[in-house]
Amino acid sequence: MRRLAAEAVVIGGGAAGTFAALELRRRGVKPLILCKGLVGKSGASIFAGNLVVPGRLLGNTEQQARDTAEFLIRMHNHFLIDQHYARAAGEWIEREYYPELERAGLYLRRDKRGAIVTNDGPVRCMAAHSQGESGVLFMDLRRKQVLQAGIPWLEETAVTALLTGAGGAIAGVMALDLARGEVVAIESRAVILATGYADRFYPRSTATREMSADGIAMAWRAGVELMNLEIQWWHTSDVRFPLSWQRTQVYPNPIIGSSHAARLYNGDGEMFFDQEADAPVAMGPYTIQLKRLAKQVLAGKARFDGGYYSGFTHVAPGAVTAYTDYAKAFAALGKSVAADTLETACSAHYRQGGIVVDPATMATRVPGLYVAGGVGGHSNGLIAPVTYDGMLAAETVANDLPRLKLVALPEDKATAEEARLLGLRRPLSGNGVTPAQVKRRLRALMGEKMGFFKDAAGMAAALAEVTRLRDELLPAMGLTNVTPRLNYAWLDAIDVANMLEVAALTIRGALHRTESRGPFYRTDFPDMDNENWLVKNILTPTPNGAVDFRTEPYDLPFFKPDFVRRPSLELDW
Amino acid sequence: MAERPQIPAGARNLGRDDTGDSPAARLARLRDGDTVTARISRFDPTTDTAPHFETYRVPYTKWMRVLEVLTHVSEELGGDLAHRWFCANRMCGTCAVRVNGREVLACWEPVEPEMTIEPLRNAPVVRDLVIDRSGYEQRVLGLTPWLERREPYRGFPEPLTHPAMAAADKALDCISCMCCFSACPVVGLGDETNFAGPAPLVQLARVALDPRDGIDRGRIALERGAVFDCVSCYKCEEVCPVSIPIVTGAIEPLKALAFKSLPRKSRHARVFLAIVRSRGRIDPSALILGVQRLAALRHPLRILKLWRRGKIDPLKTLFGFRLPDIKQVRQVFAAVRGEPR
Ligand SMILES: Cc1cc2nc3c(=O)[nH]c(=O)nc-3n(C[C@H](O)[C@H](O)[C@H](O)COP(=O)(O)OP(=O)(O)OC[C@H]3O[C@@H](n4cnc5c(N)ncnc54)[C@H](O)[C@@H]3O)c2cc1C
Ligand code: SF4
Ligand code: SF4
Repeated sequence: MRRLAAEAVVIGGGAAGTFAALELRRRGVKPLILCKGLVGKSGASIFAGNLVVPGRLLGNTEQQARDTAEFLIRMHNHFLIDQHYARAAGEWIEREYYPELERAGLYLRRDKRGAIVTNDGPVRCMAAHSQGESGVLFMDLRRKQVLQAGIPWLEETAVTALLTGAGGAIAGVMALDLARGEVVAIESRAVILATGYADRFYPRSTATREMSADGIAMAWRAGVELMNLEIQWWHTSDVRFPLSWQRTQVYPNPIIGSSHAARLYNGDGEMFFDQEADAPVAMGPYTIQLKRLAKQVLAGKARFDGGYYSGFTHVAPGAVTAYTDYAKAFAALGKSVAADTLETACSAHYRQGGIVVDPATMATRVPGLYVAGGVGGHSNGLIAPVTYDGMLAAETVANDLPRLKLVALPEDKATAEEARLLGLRRPLSGNGVTPAQVKRRLRALMGEKMGFFKDAAGMAAALAEVTRLRDELLPAMGLTNVTPRLNYAWLDAIDVANMLEVAALTIRGALHRTESRGPFYRTDFPDMDNENWLVKNILTPTPNGAVDFRTEPYDLPFFKPDFVRRPSLELDW
Repeated sequence: MAERPQIPAGARNLGRDDTGDSPAARLARLRDGDTVTARISRFDPTTDTAPHFETYRVPYTKWMRVLEVLTHVSEELGGDLAHRWFCANRMCGTCAVRVNGREVLACWEPVEPEMTIEPLRNAPVVRDLVIDRSGYEQRVLGLTPWLERREPYRGFPEPLTHPAMAAADKALDCISCMCCFSACPVVGLGDETNFAGPAPLVQLARVALDPRDGIDRGRIALERGAVFDCVSCYKCEEVCPVSIPIVTGAIEPLKALAFKSLPRKSRHARVFLAIVRSRGRIDPSALILGVQRLAALRHPLRILKLWRRGKIDPLKTLFGFRLPDIKQVRQVFAAVRGEPR
């Protein structure tokens, strides 16, 4: 076991984690970044193609400022967001975030005369360099800023456990350095968890390869509460073939420099979604598209996994290619963005819920554990708010450090975790299964039982099957090659345990929420129920390993729904 | 608004339509039910003395990419193949390999019926298809490719137009995939040159060509990047998966900046100009002779290697081959220097 120590540990190399580390450094704290992927080249952050223009930025009118906030709270989060947090984040983004990025060199796409190019709609967005590529540029910048600041990191190193010591406080973390095949113990009394939203629970998912709900699983074992895990988002415009793409979209957001967006067509060629006409305020119209698709599925004119089409054939081709990279999938398939549509399919997108945090500080109820970005349950963020989280978490850590006690790394727990990890690198036996096979079974199951349409019976069956996979397949799991170095199957084995645990918690949360809301739909409870369920659906660990449920209402100071109960499919969002 | 061409022009796509290798042609070559045969390089430096090939047969699925073959092998065929990828969407730039000798992104490249898949060159192999990126990263870092402002930042949004950014714009597409770095014969010369390589220079060009930048990037390109060691063979541009005009859009502008900033030190540039003036073409072997002089002849094996790979042609150099339109080239030089034609 290799041993390290750090003043603070940041887990994750996406927008939230890198910014948290930079902010810690600016405040005189020396962080260490641990990243399962490569810093700035893994996680969802590279996909953030559109940068929302908040508040009164870039000449937004009062109405546009209001529409943007309403879009975020109503259409993006279905009111499951702390509105005080949303306001504070919005103000910071307007005041600090874009200026900081531009000062550091980010090129926000201009036109000939020097105006930043946006779309024409009521809610506007802009792009770094080219629409669709913003996140890549952005994360490349973060990677260089981190290098420039001399912040150390361990890349391709997966954190596998958060270790708590005396008083349940954080004492450090355990990790697997994939390239060396070595277990690492890192002593630290402050940890910022920034492992993102996604978990690849489904056959199709927008998450990057390495995502497997690790952050949620580790934090749960360390004693946090979880909330709203069941609110799973779907991305309806992912290119269906080739099967590996999954994150390649016929982007539904309005094209910058124009007022147009991609349209969706069913198997009969009938258009069933046009953002420009149907949902102008929905800058990211995901749930609206999803519900329209669900109706097509019910009518037998599309399937969630294909049989419908998306394209820009109604837009002058020059408008698509002037400021965006949206033609790239068409080009790679030998198709024309002007003349062709592509078959699209539905992929699991973000998980809206996550770890319960205090959205004013990013602290959790575990002393020394802080959260930033998508892994938190407080918002269904965009890249800008997750960066705000990183800033906030770093600020809190810098303030808390002087009074956080040094907790000795509990040797027994460290040794036990090392033994668990080494034990997972065992050879496959005659009737055993590989971790990849278990992942595939879980994904098939979730796709079948936990898609958009679901009910209590199906979910109960899914829970029983997940439990069976855990009890019967995990012990039978083995590897075809037990080399320690760069053994992705070993990593898969570690992932699988996390995925099964969080999948079970997710299904339990879904069974508990007896309503439908936005992307979360139950055929046995088809109404959005603001009387009982405009609340946080919170899971609490109990000492004997069981799960308790409790709910907590949201404060609704700025926006509230104007009805108590309505069939969710009748609402466009 | 001009439409960007659907299939971007540039070295990468030269002749692909004529040889039936356009994306559409590739996709039409295989159909469901077919099998793809992949010979994949396997190597664990801690246990093996040399890489060896293993052959796998993978069922074709619609519009299949190389990445799907690799995933199928590692997950289904018990190959436990080590290969790196994160996004499968031409964004993270980590899945590059060589397919039938040519650098490609596994996620973006359509499969071929028979493929030999190997790791990138010019970087050590960690295991199988995964290379150690750190040497490359060090070279990027050494060029300090982050903006150093000429004037203090003036607040958001700062005054800036797209035409002013146009020169840097193409280089902004770079996803650091290392395809070009692997393909570059000069990087392959190893310690014999200090050449930073194409991708690091593309990273440098991003800031060097940015009107907001204020430091002497020409000097960095020359002293730390050895930019004139580039022999303009266009191998880098041929493989760039995002079609960056690496030579004309990044390296040549950097050479120009270097020449402007340190003309005396830019011996290579002077030799380069002289060659083009007299022969009307870039002749890598004459360039190597001109720059390294007799030192070049100390490495007959290298010369042979470059010759075999078609990078240089000493015979043409010796026989003084000229393009027919040499007159035009001379006219261009005359025009640049303001001389009468
Ligand atoms: C397809 C897609 C399109 C999107 N489009 C937009 C958009 O247009 N505009 C917008 O604003 N937002 C968009 N988003 C949302 C935005 O990308 C996310 O809000 C944001 O990137 C989340 O950032 P993060 O830092 O929380 O997580 P991520 O960027 O996901 O980073 C998570 C990091 O944690 C690491 N990690 C995971 N597990 C471990 C572990 N066990 N140990 C160590 N490290 C670990 C990962 O390797 C990764 O580096 C999009 C998201 C997706 C998926
Ligand atoms: S043109 Fe220059 S940089 Fe590109 S491959 Fe040839 S020598 Fe290398
Ligand atoms: S220039 Fe092109 S080939 Fe080279 S690293 Fe960048 S994207 Fe890859």
